Amino acid sequence: MRIAVYPKCEKFLTSICEWAKGCLKVIQLQLQSCAKMRTAFAMYFIQALILSAIGDVGFVSCTSDVDDAFNEELMLKPLPSGHVYAHFQFTTLWRTDIETETFQHSRLFPRGLGEIIGRHNVRELHVSLTEGLWRYEKWGYPLQDTGSGAEVYAWFNDDRRIDENWKSLTNALAGLLCASLNFVDVSNSLSPDFTFRPSGAIPRPLNSSCLRYSSLPREIVCTENLTPFKKLLPCDSKKGLATLLNSAYIHNTNYHSIAVDVRPVCTNAACTQTTIELRQTISLVYDTMTTDSQDWSVRKLFGIGLRSACPLATLSRVYVDVTDNETSETYRLVPEPPETLISLRGGQENRIAVYDIKSLSNAGMFNVAAVHSKAKIYGVEIPPVLFANRYVVGYGQERGGLVTKLHNNYWKPLDVVLLENIPWYIPVYTHTIRITCQGKLLKPLIKRYVPGRERERPYYLEMVLRLPPRSVTEFSIELDYLFLKWQEYPPDANHGFYMGPAIITSLLPTARNYTALPQDGSTISSSFNASRDGYLVQLRTEILLVSLPTPDFSMPYNVICLACTAVALAFGPLHNITTKRLVLKPSKKNKLVSYIREKLSKTKVDKIE
Amino acid sequence: MRSWVILFTLSTCVLSAFSLEATETGHSNNWAVLVDTSRFWFNYRHVANVLSIYRSVKRLGIPDSQIILMIADDMACNPRNPRPATVFNNAKQHINVYGDDVEVDYRGYEVTVENFVRLLTGRLPPETPRSKKLLTDEGSNILIYLTGHGGDGFLKFQDSEEITSQELGDALEQMWQKRRYHEILFVVDTCQASSMYEKFYSPNILAVASSLVGEDSLSHHVDPAIGVYIIDRYTYYALDFLETVEPSSSKTLSEFLKVCPKRFCISTVGVRKDLFRRDPKNVPVTDFFGSLRPVELTTSTVNVSPVQLNNTNSPKKPVIKYKYVDQFPDLSYV
Repeated sequence: MRIAVYPKCEKFLTSICEWAKGCLKVIQLQLQSCAKMRTAFAMYFIQALILSAIGDVGFVSCTSDVDDAFNEELMLKPLPSGHVYAHFQFTTLWRTDIETETFQHSRLFPRGLGEIIGRHNVRELHVSLTEGLWRYEKWGYPLQDTGSGAEVYAWFNDDRRIDENWKSLTNALAGLLCASLNFVDVSNSLSPDFTFRPSGAIPRPLNSSCLRYSSLPREIVCTENLTPFKKLLPCDSKKGLATLLNSAYIHNTNYHSIAVDVRPVCTNAACTQTTIELRQTISLVYDTMTTDSQDWSVRKLFGIGLRSACPLATLSRVYVDVTDNETSETYRLVPEPPETLISLRGGQENRIAVYDIKSLSNAGMFNVAAVHSKAKIYGVEIPPVLFANRYVVGYGQERGGLVTKLHNNYWKPLDVVLLENIPWYIPVYTHTIRITCQGKLLKPLIKRYVPGRERERPYYLEMVLRLPPRSVTEFSIELDYLFLKWQEYPPDANHGFYMGPAIITSLLPTARNYTALPQDGSTISSSFNASRDGYLVQLRTEILLVSLPTPDFSMPYNVICLACTAVALAFGPLHNITTKRLVLKPSKKNKLVSYIREKLSKTKVDKIE
Repeated sequence: MRSWVILFTLSTCVLSAFSLEATETGHSNNWAVLVDTSRFWFNYRHVANVLSIYRSVKRLGIPDSQIILMIADDMACNPRNPRPATVFNNAKQHINVYGDDVEVDYRGYEVTVENFVRLLTGRLPPETPRSKKLLTDEGSNILIYLTGHGGDGFLKFQDSEEITSQELGDALEQMWQKRRYHEILFVVDTCQASSMYEKFYSPNILAVASSLVGEDSLSHHVDPAIGVYIIDRYTYYALDFLETVEPSSSKTLSEFLKVCPKRFCISTVGVRKDLFRRDPKNVPVTDFFGSLRPVELTTSTVNVSPVQLNNTNSPKKPVIKYKYVDQFPDLSYV
């Protein structure tokens, strides 16, 4: 038996094989003596044991021609509102072209996801599953904006058979992430012109016909989504930062969001080659105010300390944003950070404590704790430059209105793109659009509107607005609630229907409260000292619950019952009267009287005849 | 990675050389279809029921890829649940049946009669992902477990539609005709559950029901922390029994059929054996709740041919210039 492998691993593999053979011999001997163990399961168990042992060593030691890297990072940021924001980011970079790659062979990149991308001709993919609402006015801007519920959008390499590809892609993602993404179809998908642009490197301009966006605001997020998410990671949840992802500590948060983003990025400065970037992120917002003390630690937040870094990771770091320390709160980090770096970005200075997990690997359980020496003083929170709210107005189940309020706190006008995503069963009237600001009407710079069509496509409304400085702009539109077909109502129709979030895109001139990664960056570390001309935010507003008029679902049964009763009552006697003769039946008790009466009546009848 | 794959095949081949007497039952693989048909928080117990069985079959070796789990509502992460991401079988929180590693294949609005029948009969849309398909063959032993609210001859789905026992019987017959199963263990925990299997007419089905026609299936106890009943009696005792089963244990189906005597269940557990060819006394529980791995015997040596490294120099591609595009529209022309 000879195995040809990469020269680097050959020697190593031979030794592994010998060891495995030895193991097998021992097991064989044991099996012969132990008859009970000769069951299929025991066999499988042993096999799995050996395989995992070989696997563990094998894939760590052997290098191949696949050029890829994996980074894991965790950003912990105490928020001014007293919450703690934890953002995990797992980045896999694979130096290959997304357009030509067959995804037959991969190392760190999850093959399951790769096959889906390759098969559906996807250029860029963004999926997120979120529970809760990101409170921009309290928490500032997140590292990644996601809308409540499920949100998915993808760029395709071209628009040939794009609707089929889109349907098939969302179905495949539904299987991969255990979410009901298969409910995405053309009737709830949009191709907005301005809101989404390809965030990755592209060889030729792509227009929005290659884009599909959809949101499922009703989607729940639970362990069943986290499990497959963890399985996409090279170390699974066995090693590294992913060991901190325990479902009970993730789902008790005020906000949690799971996202998978794939895009091609430039490999070199000249950008003649591309690398596939897979970014898996989990954002969590913990409430530390409801507990006895404000102290928090990795162990307290995630229920467990960190044992070691993922051995496959090139970068394994924990960052703590200590900017607010000693201004609004006073705490001490335990252990002391080996390094604190200062990040200057768009006029904003942040201090970041950096812990390198790789260098701490042998120090037992790693735990970062913030120990407060003084109770936190809650001051007035300065809201960020731009934020928005949305709500439904009106009463009754026939017609209503939709209002989106955009707050601009900047001293200069801000240009924003507002995308309203309105389902087909909530028809809107464009002539009722009113955009007012400080009592004056505001005219949108650009307006795109495609009316929806029942059961075929949603209402698409996208506008570019110039928000005056320090102002609140109100966008309102009137709408109807449609009466659906009986079978189209969900089982809990009385709960109401959800409307996906509006998306507000803007390029902020300042990086205040801004934490997101720059377009050309792949890791959290790339967001430090990353000053750019503008800082992109894509705010998601609240999702809205609207009550559509619902029929009385038991009505058909009532009608049937009522109709049957009426028929039984009316038809029965009538039928009897018209078809049957009423004849008096002689009673048998008094034979003599009846006999005489019979005789008498007979004679009477005879007389008449 | 490639070398790892080689090792995998290699060790599989070597291991195949062991003799195994696992083929005597005639089945080659195990599948489980576990369905909770009830929506709404007050039906928490039905989710706990189905997850109890899920936990057991997973523990006994059926992989997630061969378990189709349908759950009509989210209980674990429901805002009413004071202990997020958990579903317990007991108010004393003995077993978290939801666990930390769960894959739900059909959830929420996807749990419909149509999807269930399509799943069984294999008539799904072409784009359906693999995890949502019942990819069984004539060697598959299938465990079908249903729980929800039922009546005489029907089972309600999400309080809005129902499947009748005749429809279910026809679906199973279609499965048999399409050679989609070898044997089926059909377990149903609803009120008047035995009415669900009365119309079955396909061979090799052993059916168990938590109650007879005219009887209610009762819940076990209330958890005051969540304010609702936590699990049903039949499944509670079934889980109790299954927790004692190990992959190698020799417990038989006849023991499983006796898990809930009337003094525990209050309802009478119904069993239909006439379609099943084997005697439950001789059938190990693991024939349905466990998983059998197909292992083929070989006496010949396997030579692994050397891997050809793909070092052929591909023709140089023309240099393409990629670029990042602006994320915000250019408004200078406005």
